[in-house]
Amino acid sequence: MISIKKLPIKQVSMQGFLFLFIFFIYFNLEAAEGAPCKDYGECDEFKHSLKDMSSLQSGASTFLTYCYGCHSLEYSRWNRVAKDLQIPEEIFFDNLIFDPSIKPGDLMAGSMSKEESAEWFGVAPPDLTLVTRLHGSDWVYTYLRTFYEDSSKQYGVNNLVYPGAAMPNVLAALQGNQQLTCKQVPIIANNGGEKRDNSGNPVTKEKCGFLNVEEGTGSLNQEEFDLLIYDLTNFLTYVGDPDKVERERIGWYVVFFFIIFTTLSSLLYREYQKDYH
Amino acid sequence: MADNIAKVFNWVNHRLPIQNTYERHLSKHPVPKKVNFWYLFGALAAVVLIIQIVSGIWLIMLYTPGEAAFSSIEYMMRDVDYGWAIRYMHTTGASMFFAVVYLHMFRGLLYGSYQKPKELVWIFGCTIYLAMMAEGFLGYVLPYGQMSYWGAQVIISLFGALPYIGESLELWIRGDYYISGITVNRFFALHVVALPLVLIALVFLHLIALHEVGAGNPEGVDIEAHTDEDGVPLDSVPFFPYKVLNALVGIGVFMTVFAIIMFFFPEGGGYFIEYANYEEANPLVTPDHIAPVWYYSPYYSILRAVPDKLGGFAAMGAAVAIFFVVPWLDRSKVASIRYKGILSKIALVLFGISFLTLGYLGTVSVTEHRKTMGVICTFIYFSYFLLMPIYTSIEKTKPVPDRL
Amino acid sequence: MIGLTSAFGAAGVPFAATPFIASWNPSAKAKAVGAPVKVDVTKIDPGQQIQIGWRKQPVFVIRHSQEAIKNLESSLSKLADPNSEAIEEPYRNMNPTRSKSPEYTVLVGVCTHLGCSPKFFPEVEPKSWDASWTGGYFCPCHGSMFDLVGRVFKGVPAPTNLKVPPHNFKGNILTIGEDEEMS
Repeated sequence: MISIKKLPIKQVSMQGFLFLFIFFIYFNLEAAEGAPCKDYGECDEFKHSLKDMSSLQSGASTFLTYCYGCHSLEYSRWNRVAKDLQIPEEIFFDNLIFDPSIKPGDLMAGSMSKEESAEWFGVAPPDLTLVTRLHGSDWVYTYLRTFYEDSSKQYGVNNLVYPGAAMPNVLAALQGNQQLTCKQVPIIANNGGEKRDNSGNPVTKEKCGFLNVEEGTGSLNQEEFDLLIYDLTNFLTYVGDPDKVERERIGWYVVFFFIIFTTLSSLLYREYQKDYH
Repeated sequence: MADNIAKVFNWVNHRLPIQNTYERHLSKHPVPKKVNFWYLFGALAAVVLIIQIVSGIWLIMLYTPGEAAFSSIEYMMRDVDYGWAIRYMHTTGASMFFAVVYLHMFRGLLYGSYQKPKELVWIFGCTIYLAMMAEGFLGYVLPYGQMSYWGAQVIISLFGALPYIGESLELWIRGDYYISGITVNRFFALHVVALPLVLIALVFLHLIALHEVGAGNPEGVDIEAHTDEDGVPLDSVPFFPYKVLNALVGIGVFMTVFAIIMFFFPEGGGYFIEYANYEEANPLVTPDHIAPVWYYSPYYSILRAVPDKLGGFAAMGAAVAIFFVVPWLDRSKVASIRYKGILSKIALVLFGISFLTLGYLGTVSVTEHRKTMGVICTFIYFSYFLLMPIYTSIEKTKPVPDRL
Repeated sequence: MIGLTSAFGAAGVPFAATPFIASWNPSAKAKAVGAPVKVDVTKIDPGQQIQIGWRKQPVFVIRHSQEAIKNLESSLSKLADPNSEAIEEPYRNMNPTRSKSPEYTVLVGVCTHLGCSPKFFPEVEPKSWDASWTGGYFCPCHGSMFDLVGRVFKGVPAPTNLKVPPHNFKGNILTIGEDEEMS
């Protein structure tokens, strides 16, 4: 028989374990978000930082400069983005929006009509409001960095994450020309041993499918480019779920409330249990 | 003042049986004095039902059925103050509803809650489950994302498997030559009005039938066998306030879990809201991986385990239908697993494992190895039920105590 | 103990109710659609009226000639509420035009009787509804009359003057629906 005195502690500690358990799952689930990266294998990991305003602002600027010409963010509103990214509306409109007919409350409906762009590109450039929810931020982050030259394709590029993508490499001037190259790699046996020839030098074989950027062809080096794409993906992650930060903030209070409520009702129940035990 | 209130109360009570109902179903309704946490899930299911109805009503204010459905979801998530809270409340509630009901059903199998005289309670319960499955399916189509569309496509095409009437039935269900806004609109009416009314009526019947014969307990003891001079069972406590307070604790724990999911990972890693649904329905593009939401996955596995289309449909239907006849399959003299023989215990454990495995298999893509697993588990699943008349009659049971 | 638990639980109720009540507030979409409207007033000739849509209502913008403003005095005896005391007047005593500008009048073009849209008759000449008409609005539905700045006549079905919406002038641009220049 369980002693009555132990009851509320049991409840609270059960809840505590439950809480920890669920958060363990949460962190693992967060890491495993989105689809795998096709020919690339596992996507590069992307950890969002939705409270880093300068990152989000940089991402917004990059998006509006390079992407908004073809891709819409049709469920997002201009004034909401300005507010959430802590950009004063005046600065936002003066510097980032090039169309005078746009009002602050409008949806970011894009600059091209879907019918025309479908004709020009074969398929209309998809709306990107939910791209990080659909494919995952990891996927987007990796996709934008794995374009490579492929003369057999319409725009001269192909993509490792999304083979056959109809999108041209818009950021080629920044990244530089990326190619799929072959490298000499060591031959590793099942037990981990490296194959060597009679003189003890490692024997290598050729393996292809490595990405390599031509030196000096891009205005940014690899670190700078990766940072640019990080900020851009961070911004798109925000656009995909603009209420996330607020939701989690409120969540802490709600969960805390229910934990206390459970404790109190356990104590109350214990009182009544004395009546019939 | 108190005098006047008493007068008004008496006037109403004379015409509407408030006091009687309160005593009969709450303050003087006898329930077994000792039950365990398995007995909380019925109350939790009622709580979720209320959450779904309230959040559902508010969703209808914000949702536009038909072709504009997908953008109306994004509208409520972004443009409406706290619209995201109402939406996630409803999606979390849907998954929690099934989780709670599965546990509630398992309690039934564990403690023989379906045995005489509670067969009708069980049957109403199975009907509620069936209605819930339909309600969940209809609800999932409403956001009109890719998974909504293609999930609907798969399920509606199952009806096409029926001989002779199949194809016309498909056309009739869709209301169009392909799934479109017309289909969404009618599913909306069914999901919002028709099935909730059916569900509420069934829950009402379920509870009335239960109160008529009295709740069970983990020992399987008949508490009515020993009563005091007023006819009140000795091993009982009045439902209100004792069980209500007990339920309150369970509700607290439940709401904590609910809140964690709703605020921190409402998508449930893609199991509560499938990622493919973040793209609007596109009849021309099939998603790589069509899977139903997690709570249908055991039945999806059973469907896939049978290579024939109509056969699979029949197997899936039988897997749900067989629950209805459990009161007559169980020939045991005792109700609770605590006093049943070793065969029942093994059978129940195997059933649980097969159910969970089938559930897992339904969420992943088919491989040769998994297909074999699916067939084996389907076999075990049906054996639990079909062999029950045999193993419950031949096994040796332990004597059930007299009192709680 | 009951008290404490109930009180704690009850304390949670207003928070739980918040999403349901707050969701009834105008959404971002409604705010965008109901956003202020801008118009260049130099395009209007003196004595002319234009009609602009704002929040699904017609708004009249009238540019008065100097003469017309002087003539506003002459119809005072016909008016039921010449100083707009019976209604909420946002720019009381600022200008005889009832607006933020001495030259333009801004009015919500909805008759205060039953909601029809009154018609603009600026000419000073006898009309079938008033032999001594000095210009103003006549509502065709039930015959209510208003002067050139929207003040209601005595003895007509409409009870009050036409409303003046919040607005501001910045150079040539009139913004209807917004009091201060925000952006």
